[in-house]
Amino acid sequence: MSDKTIQGDTASKAPRNTTGGWLSDLDRKRAAGPFLADHASPGTGMSTTAVHAGTHDDPRTGAVGTPIYQASTFVLGDNQYKSVEDGFVRDRFIYSRYGNPSQWAVQEKLAALEGAESAIVFSSGMAAITSTVLALMDKGAHVVASSDLYGGTFNLFNQEFPTLGMFATLVDPHDYEAIEAAIQPNTQLMYFEAITNPMLKVIDIPRLSEIAKRRNVRLVVDATFAPPVAMRTLDHGVDVVIHSASKYLNGHSDLIAGVAAGPRKLIDMIWPRLLNFGGSLDPHACFLLERGLKTLAVRMRAHEESAMALATYLEGQPKVQKVFYPFLESHPDHATAKRLLKNGTGNITFVIEGGDAAALRLVDALSIPKQATSLGGVESLISLPFNTSQATFTARQRADVGIDPGCVRLSVGIEDAADLIADFENALGTIYASKDLTHA
Amino acid sequence: MRNSIPTAALSEFVNEVSDTPEEALMDYGIEINWESGTRSRTDTKPMKVGPHQVSRSFSWKADEPRQLMGNNHGPNPQELLLSGLGSCMMVSFIAGATAEGIQLETVRIDFDATLDLRGFMGLGTNSTVGFPEIKYKIHVTGDASQEQFAELHRKSVAHSPNAQTILNPVGLSGEIISTQMESQSVAGFAPTIQPRKKVQS
Repeated sequence: MSDKTIQGDTASKAPRNTTGGWLSDLDRKRAAGPFLADHASPGTGMSTTAVHAGTHDDPRTGAVGTPIYQASTFVLGDNQYKSVEDGFVRDRFIYSRYGNPSQWAVQEKLAALEGAESAIVFSSGMAAITSTVLALMDKGAHVVASSDLYGGTFNLFNQEFPTLGMFATLVDPHDYEAIEAAIQPNTQLMYFEAITNPMLKVIDIPRLSEIAKRRNVRLVVDATFAPPVAMRTLDHGVDVVIHSASKYLNGHSDLIAGVAAGPRKLIDMIWPRLLNFGGSLDPHACFLLERGLKTLAVRMRAHEESAMALATYLEGQPKVQKVFYPFLESHPDHATAKRLLKNGTGNITFVIEGGDAAALRLVDALSIPKQATSLGGVESLISLPFNTSQATFTARQRADVGIDPGCVRLSVGIEDAADLIADFENALGTIYASKDLTHA
Repeated sequence: MRNSIPTAALSEFVNEVSDTPEEALMDYGIEINWESGTRSRTDTKPMKVGPHQVSRSFSWKADEPRQLMGNNHGPNPQELLLSGLGSCMMVSFIAGATAEGIQLETVRIDFDATLDLRGFMGLGTNSTVGFPEIKYKIHVTGDASQEQFAELHRKSVAHSPNAQTILNPVGLSGEIISTQMESQSVAGFAPTIQPRKKVQS
């Protein structure tokens, strides 16, 4: 039986074979996508885009919203076989590790939010990072990366790269001269994070992009701490933007996912690594992520509102020694933040008097923030770098990236600022009162 | 995927280059270091593919047979020349076949060439220094007619950069950067073995 229906991106066609001609006669051009049919997104605002882009009502029943295509495999017809033969399998539905309508829908929404031609979702942020980095680097290649890297990415560069014959030089992300000086003839990649963890340094991405272009190197940025709505990273000249979608993008702390977005050319180079490394995202998780994304803009506004109020409150407390929130004027990168961030986020880092012991008492005394790692959820999450994200560091290594004893990492959710402030007021009062008693 | 080449991606790259010609510019480089006698080691330099640096971490050795004062530790420069020529014609042939929709099963190219070393040695005046002729045969099996393969052969040679470099005059512009060292042999004394020192080049 022969089925002529195109199950996939109907705009994508096989190249016409040359007949006695040469390569110059090949007629298929690269295009954004792959997209499900009728993918027009009404409006250009981030809220409208978040709600509507990539969301496809069920064509059979009219049910509103993208159905969950919980299938591992697809019925094959002529068009799928042709895509295998001519090498455009990414544009057809064949097998869910290669692509699935639930993945395509959320990929389209993410690409629209980032202003990208194409996006791929992965089963975790680390799957997105590994696939992207290894797609853009070859044997013997070198990457210049931030010395403030997320631990998972650091482990990839530190533990896996030497095995693969690849090398990394880690540089202070604020030292632009050192970054440029670290570029070697075999450097293929600059890898940085838009806002660092946990010190919330806001990196001058346009400046990195200028260096990368001038030195013929690709620039990949992990923008997990600066999702679209706060910043459209690709607008600043970045080649590929990566997120742990488990954080702000999904926003509900109920799934693990990652995404890489950028020009179709580069995302098509990353896609075979998705196939080879196997980090595909399950259709049900795609549905959850797509649903979470619909409220991204409104959530980010709420994160900023509560975080700004709480950061301002904390800055006025005598037992709080330092507060890092990019929209506070006291933040070292305040000017860069005002220039690059269109919206704040929920991340606040602060240092309290009494070191890590006092910080441990504080997180125990709070009732609203959950004592848990991760960030970007609707609920506030609080953790200490010394025993979680930077636990493998020595005290001196922590000091080198600016983590002082008593450092607290807080991801402010969308709870009311007044409740959060009252909770902190109570907790700070409790821990310092009890400390005074023990010294009495 | 036909011949393990994605025709769609090949087509997209061709059309990208048509719109942005700088994507077609490839900068290559190698470095050759003398090791010992007739043996040398070649290392690839990073290349540029369009505007982007790409790591090329490859190395190989060339040597001459013992009869030619070498130790037979690697292919000689003539074999490497034929290899560079033939591998390039192979890429051209495979890419052309793929664009044409031809599924290949096997492709083998046999090269033969005769060199008269009198040119190298400076003996006689009638022998050329280089190869006067290079002969090859392409043995191919695939789902195309003899006429299609003949046409593909013609087109692939016409578009092979290395074949065209050999068939056409090419500029070879070099310079030498030399450093003179003090002579370490002393006339009148019995010869002693001196450690070889590399001349900066």
